[in-house]
Amino acid sequence: MRRASTTSPAAYADQIRLEPGGHAMGTSWVAERSVGAILPGDHGWLAYSGPEERGRVIGPFVHEGLLTGEKVVYVTDTPAGRLPGLGHRIDVHDHLRAGRLRVISREDACLDRSGAFEPARMLDTVEREIGEAFGQGFRAVRLTTDYTWLLDEPGRMLGCEHRLGGAVAPSTMAMAICQIDRRACPPDQLIALRDLHEVLVEVDPEFDDGVLRMVRTFAPAGLRLEGELDATRHGAVAARLAQVMARHGGVHLDLSRLGFIDLGGLDLLARLAARLPAGGTLVLDHLRPSVLSVIETVGWHRLPGLVRGAGRGLPETEGIAR
Amino acid sequence: MSDHFTHRVLPYDGVEEFLGGTVPFLSAGVEAGDRVLAVCGTARETLLRDALGSAASAVEFTDAATWYAHPSRTLADCLGAAGRAAGRGRRLRLLGEPVWASRSPLEVVEWQRTEALLNIALLDTGASVMCPYAATLPAAVIASGRRTHPETVRGTRALANPGFVDPWTFCARCDAEPLPAPPPDADTLPIDARPDLYWLRAYVTECARQTPLPEEDLQRLLVAVTEVVTNALRHGEPPLTLRMWTDAADGASALVCEVTDEGRWPPGAGHGLLPPRPAGTASGGRFGLWAVRLLCSAVQIRTGEGGTAVRLRHDLPRTDRSTCTEREDFHAPGFHHLPCGVR
Repeated sequence: MRRASTTSPAAYADQIRLEPGGHAMGTSWVAERSVGAILPGDHGWLAYSGPEERGRVIGPFVHEGLLTGEKVVYVTDTPAGRLPGLGHRIDVHDHLRAGRLRVISREDACLDRSGAFEPARMLDTVEREIGEAFGQGFRAVRLTTDYTWLLDEPGRMLGCEHRLGGAVAPSTMAMAICQIDRRACPPDQLIALRDLHEVLVEVDPEFDDGVLRMVRTFAPAGLRLEGELDATRHGAVAARLAQVMARHGGVHLDLSRLGFIDLGGLDLLARLAARLPAGGTLVLDHLRPSVLSVIETVGWHRLPGLVRGAGRGLPETEGIAR
Repeated sequence: MSDHFTHRVLPYDGVEEFLGGTVPFLSAGVEAGDRVLAVCGTARETLLRDALGSAASAVEFTDAATWYAHPSRTLADCLGAAGRAAGRGRRLRLLGEPVWASRSPLEVVEWQRTEALLNIALLDTGASVMCPYAATLPAAVIASGRRTHPETVRGTRALANPGFVDPWTFCARCDAEPLPAPPPDADTLPIDARPDLYWLRAYVTECARQTPLPEEDLQRLLVAVTEVVTNALRHGEPPLTLRMWTDAADGASALVCEVTDEGRWPPGAGHGLLPPRPAGTASGGRFGLWAVRLLCSAVQIRTGEGGTAVRLRHDLPRTDRSTCTEREDFHAPGFHHLPCGVR
């Protein structure tokens, strides 16, 4: 296992996702985790591209915590009944009354008397909530808030985030997800913010059998395929892809982590693309050179409806541009 | 398309006979407004340009070594060129002198087969193809040229070729001889009934890494093996076996990967010899075995009473070490290295 030398804390180097070939993914030494695999000590980052993606990360984060007897602390002005991604799955008021769910308004959590963001107050709130949860006997506490409203105060937000990481990372019971709407955030600021987090949180995979993994992507809409695709897994891909295609006209496949696709897999993608409404295409993004070479041997003209999309190999701004 | 397909052999002895057959063929094409393509080496090109005079500017010259790079790819290129010309209301007129020198016996067979298949692949395109065969070629190559071309050019006339053999019959004859047995120390992997081909690819990768096979060819090998094994699992009869070895029997070293099963392919199975119809047409789309041929240096198929064997060959780059005349020092366990040039 490789060790990180340039980022701290080094403990996370061991959690860096490895692609099948054994090379570390991405350009920076951050771990990437699906929300279902989040661990105590994770100071996570979610740059969502819209309500669907946000709901499919934050919903399970809150829901899973409440189901498994952990405490959930949400700093937001949104009423508890309308928290993202929960729908009518749970009775939040029941959890509020029982003290398992805390929804704290921004005013109470982190604003000063003039209504301005006060980083020190936010940290106090976080530390107090972690301490309280510990005192109440919870085995873990999940914290989350959306920082998009602070984008015009980048300096204060960065400072707060930095110290928040210091509060969560050493903890054996706290895990946090900092949310931000990537559409509202300038790219350089997005990178600066991301780099303050050790964990990039994403949706749970649609499918994962150890050989092939499929993860929903949202901007653009599609799937990321990781590992190897052959006849054993054609059915699984067809089913997941059909679901995405039913909702979106053009669908993108991020193939940056796909090490192998068989001829039947290419045929399958072309057949699915043919089912898209007129003008719809199935775009293959970030093809690895080895896979691209096979497609070019077969010939793009034999795969109508498939279009070569952005980039070669890995996206350069992993976790930023999807 | 009023013109019908022609595929003529031009046997020639010396420059005069070469020009006597080719120049009228090319000139007629230029006059008729055909797309005229001449595939030959630079020496022939100079000769032809001189002889054609002003008409030469309407002839596209293509280097033979590039054009005749790979049998299946060349066939696809011919078909593509003929189809595009027909799509514009023109006829493709192709002068093509295949490259025979420098070919191993196995490659010679595959190029002869391509000559035969051209008769089927281009039949509906109305293309006109002329293939010069020099008298200095081995007698067997010239004899095969008479079997694969429906007509022979004599002076300015084209005569029906009595020796012409139906292309599928010719192909069957190409595959009449049994394949040489795999070496006893070939790497052997029995494939059980419902395998995860992920592990098969890991095995193939490990074997291939013991050879100088370039990384970009490894992926092509993996795609080809996966396709052949997937087919055998679907349509073949167990037991299935994968064998791998390196073979230098033809003078050129190759990594061979063979998949065998006990089943027998039905007659007319096609063997992926012809490019599939374009996707979107009624019979179009499936490109499995055809693509496998494109992904490999050569594919050999034998099917019959004794079961089916599909042999995928990938040429290995010549390295300093492999030009040795003695036993190779990078002998890998389970890999069969013969001294170069030994049959």
